[in-house]
Amino acid sequence: MKPVLLVVEDAIEYAEFARLFLSDVADLRTAQSGAEALAVLGRDHVDAVLMDLRFDRSPREALIGNVDDLAKELFGGDRERAARYMQDQQGALIVAEIRARGHKQPIVFVHDFPGRRLSNLRRLYGEVFAVPSFDAAAIRQILGLRPTAA
Amino acid sequence: MSIVAVVGALALGACGEGSAPREDAETAAERALESADSRFARGELDAYFAFVAVPETTAAGRRARARLARADGHYRRGIRLFAEGDPDARRELQLGADTAPMNPLLYRDLARACRAQGQSVRAIEYFRKYLALFPNPSDRDEIAREVAELGPELDPADVLPSAPVPTKRRPVTRTPPAADDAGGVQLVAIALGVIAAALGSALILILRRRRGLTLAQLTSESPELHPSIAYLVGVMRHELLKHRIGAIGDAVRAIRSGSATAQQRAFLYDRLYGGEPLERTWEGHIRAFERAVGPRLDLRRRDAAFRRGAKAVSRLASLEPKLRRNDARAAERLATEHAALRSLDAELSRLVRQLVRTRVDRVLLEGVVASVREEYEPGRVTDLSLEVTTPDEAIEVEVFRVDLVLVLKNVVRNALLALGRSDPPRRLRLKVETDLLPTGEEVVRVRAADTSHEMLTTESVYDRRIDRGLGLVTAALARYDAAITVEPGRDGYVKEVVVRFFRALDDAGPVAAEPPMEAAA
Repeated sequence: MKPVLLVVEDAIEYAEFARLFLSDVADLRTAQSGAEALAVLGRDHVDAVLMDLRFDRSPREALIGNVDDLAKELFGGDRERAARYMQDQQGALIVAEIRARGHKQPIVFVHDFPGRRLSNLRRLYGEVFAVPSFDAAAIRQILGLRPTAA
Repeated sequence: MSIVAVVGALALGACGEGSAPREDAETAAERALESADSRFARGELDAYFAFVAVPETTAAGRRARARLARADGHYRRGIRLFAEGDPDARRELQLGADTAPMNPLLYRDLARACRAQGQSVRAIEYFRKYLALFPNPSDRDEIAREVAELGPELDPADVLPSAPVPTKRRPVTRTPPAADDAGGVQLVAIALGVIAAALGSALILILRRRRGLTLAQLTSESPELHPSIAYLVGVMRHELLKHRIGAIGDAVRAIRSGSATAQQRAFLYDRLYGGEPLERTWEGHIRAFERAVGPRLDLRRRDAAFRRGAKAVSRLASLEPKLRRNDARAAERLATEHAALRSLDAELSRLVRQLVRTRVDRVLLEGVVASVREEYEPGRVTDLSLEVTTPDEAIEVEVFRVDLVLVLKNVVRNALLALGRSDPPRRLRLKVETDLLPTGEEVVRVRAADTSHEMLTTESVYDRRIDRGLGLVTAALARYDAAITVEPGRDGYVKEVVVRFFRALDDAGPVAAEPPMEAAA
């Protein structure tokens, strides 16, 4: 049986990429919001997560995070800037929620994070990885995904 | 043509008979106008004077003056409409900008129009430009008063030169050559004309070579553009280089090795050739750069990385029919052009990690306080107790130092003035803290706590009330996605004004040069 990879993004690009270049080594599940991802993780067996960072095509009501708290904490009460920030950083906010619910699967971002930020994410959430671009070989290597005998 | 050749050609021309000197004057004037146009295209502040300097007795001089007159009408109408808040102002100003440089005297009017529209930051910018060209104007006192009225956050001394200085600009001479000069004088004039023309031509050649800057050069020369550059590069990398180019890496490899499935090929065609044509997307990003950072940037000709990128995009676009026919050579070319664009992405990644940062440390904060204390009112606050607390580790923010100092000086000035109006004890504490966010980012908070009981709220800071002096602060902070809030004080302080920045997390880039504190506010 192949390991299960959950792809979380606001569109279908990561899923399409995964279907074409990772489906030989993993069974795929998809989620288009944090809530959907948490539902899949709560319901199904998942071995790893492929996570988008920016969710700028999601409706704002589907975003994880409290816009009022963020506005107050980071943006001087500006809800508009806080909402944009929630979209831009949604993937990381979903990871926070995934870990808060006790799910410990390794998570891979396709994003060019600065080194210190990736260290911070690992410090906060354990097994978090990043590849700077869509690269199936790198993702397979990180997650130890290998083709299984039919 | 080399400089020597230009000199030679001009010298030969000067030795001719009849109308040769006149032709030389016309040729020199044409070149002078060409040079003036180049300066105009590069947005040089004094391009106007280069236009005026083209002798009016020549055809080029007459054309230059006609353009200036036409542009002047547009500029003046545009400024008047802008001061009235009329949206047609933009069109008039654009028509002026499409025609010829603006008379720098109008910077003052433009500054006043901005002030009338409540655009303090722009008003100051235009006053600065005016004073850069006319350092000792007759209305200097009036301008000082107007600058002071823009808000207590701005020290007129920061805009106006410290003392009246004689203008360095020589008056423009427009005297036509006398027709009845003696022969000897004529020869000297011709010789001088040849030399001047040769020097002018050399200057044009040098300027041509220097026309436009690469993105790396512009980044290095203009730290004030870093926020815009970071944004534009980020958008280009995300929308084009990640989702359309980076995404097809595995498909490119599969096609090149001959192992691609039909679905993988379809995926590649969709990314490269579906939706907006790739070349149009590329052009859109280039235009966004040009609009945002102005004509000094020349991504199309001067910047080798972008030139390679443009070629790669163009070749990728032209490969579609061959790729669809499974042409093996096209697959090779696809891999090459894809690699070129991946290389551009890597280069842009390196560039944004070198954007200027400013260290937030004790030296900076104490310098800010000392600088503000040199001002008249804040300097008169007595019985002041100051505490500065900073973490041991180096902390940097991606903020141009001038802007950071402007923000901090205004916060400190505001606190000191409030303390001056309050009874002792008068305590001010500046404290730097960092926090790790759930996103893995870090924020830097500079907390200015004071013991004044004067009311200040976050809302009042953002309502741009001039008397609070923080209008410039909120404008500057917005450029860096930063924020300012007011919180209840701790440890015996009444309130804290908190300025929040995102921390620079990359490997250290070049730390901003440190100009004298008084020059940075």
